[in-house]
Amino acid sequence: MEVSEVLTVKLKEMLKPVNGFHMNSSLTCLRILQAVLELKKEEDTIIISKGHSAPAFYVLLWKMGLISDEELMSFAEIDGLPSHVTRGLPFIEVSSGSLGQGLSVANGIALAKKMDNKKGRIFVILGDGELDEGQIWEAAMTAAHHNLDNVVAIIDRNYHQLTGHTEDILAKEPLAEKWKAFGWEVREVENNVEKLKETIIELEKINDRPKVIIARWNW
Amino acid sequence: MIESFREAFGRALVEIGKKREEVVVIDADVKGSTKTIYFEKAFPKRFIQVGISEQDMIGTAAGLAIAGKIPVASAFAVFLMRAWEQIRNTVARDNLNVKIVGTHSGFSDYMDGSSHQCLEDIALMRVLPNMKVVVPADAYATKVLLEQIIDTYGPVYMRLGRDYAPRVYEDGTKIKLGKANVLRKGKEILLVAAGTLVHTALNVAKMLEKLNVDASVIDMHTIKPLDEKTLLNYAKRAELVITLEEHSIYGGLGGAVAEVLSEKLPRRVVRIGTVEFGQSGRDYLALLDRYGLTPDKIYQKIVQVVM
Repeated sequence: MEVSEVLTVKLKEMLKPVNGFHMNSSLTCLRILQAVLELKKEEDTIIISKGHSAPAFYVLLWKMGLISDEELMSFAEIDGLPSHVTRGLPFIEVSSGSLGQGLSVANGIALAKKMDNKKGRIFVILGDGELDEGQIWEAAMTAAHHNLDNVVAIIDRNYHQLTGHTEDILAKEPLAEKWKAFGWEVREVENNVEKLKETIIELEKINDRPKVIIARWNW
Repeated sequence: MIESFREAFGRALVEIGKKREEVVVIDADVKGSTKTIYFEKAFPKRFIQVGISEQDMIGTAAGLAIAGKIPVASAFAVFLMRAWEQIRNTVARDNLNVKIVGTHSGFSDYMDGSSHQCLEDIALMRVLPNMKVVVPADAYATKVLLEQIIDTYGPVYMRLGRDYAPRVYEDGTKIKLGKANVLRKGKEILLVAAGTLVHTALNVAKMLEKLNVDASVIDMHTIKPLDEKTLLNYAKRAELVITLEEHSIYGGLGGAVAEVLSEKLPRRVVRIGTVEFGQSGRDYLALLDRYGLTPDKIYQKIVQVVM
């Protein structure tokens, strides 16, 4: 599956009636979700912490034949597809939409899996703007303290947050060093879905700490 | 006999842990104060420490529940409330099987003062869809209700005081989640209480006998869902309904009772509780007296209203 023009066009078509609701966030997240969905094994879990990127997820579900064209176009209509990620959708374990909470939930699932000796990675997609939320860093400490090597966080580093450039609103850099200092295995990937997938696979070998991929999109 | 809410909670958790392997306890670095430390000692692999981070604790509990565990997240009630939005958006919205136990509620953390005294939690938890709200009256009720909370699917908030838990119930008394306990059947006045003020309500009812006022006393240990049937049954025969709680009169038990009665059986309702923040005190009962929540002060207030 490629992030084709078709998906981008579909995303835009879907978001046209709602004035492009979180279009930019969805366009970059589309690439991360594509990589994760392609690599997802049955025992893996996906948490879309940046819940406002739900449109990206929907077009991928549409591409996979899990939701119809009609359902896709019901985005944000009453009784239609919810504007933010909501439990009950395929692959979705927890509702999001309030930023900063997904990593804690991922940790909880990871801890339960470890207690029960169960396999499976927990992919958690974070926004770069979302990193402003203090709970992310609480959860980052928890994951490292408990050696949750089954947690794979992917940061959608698109440099945009609601009212401007991330570094103008609240500087995040040096991001990699921050995560390293918190005890995480860190990788950085630039503008490349295939490289992102390779990195996810490569990180499977690391088994003593949580992992984070900073997926940078210069656009 | 005076026992301790937190001791009862800590010991009950261990007993439950022996029977239910899915029970996992999460702590925000207050295990010695909440007494979840007993669970950690008994089941170290099922005890999770997240440090001083209540918001992360609630999210972690949500994840554990998603993975099939029955997490019990416990901390001081007031600090759990800083995770209200996490409780709303992640736990209650998805109807996850997370049990939240707030200790040191009301004025019971007397020495630590207003920052540590939680007088708003019932209101905050009661407003959330899917959430049940339970306030045991004594140590025995804490144990019995906790067992039922663990056995009932869905998010629950249980509110506990610290140590002052005068016995209301004999061992073996039936207490059922969602069903109010009628402790005294009277007329004229109905006292509806929760938590520590149930024992106080019984004392007040005895004092009212001197005035030939015959009062009913109900322990409304489950504030949500409220046992409307029992409330309406006993309010029918009363001219005056008085609610008693170690909590703000806004949105707590008093609010819940007033909402039901105003719609279904209009009665005069007097809400006894607090309207302000607390303060430090060296003695819990002296602090309760300062805020008008001792039997004497409540009796005086009722006399003023009745006379």
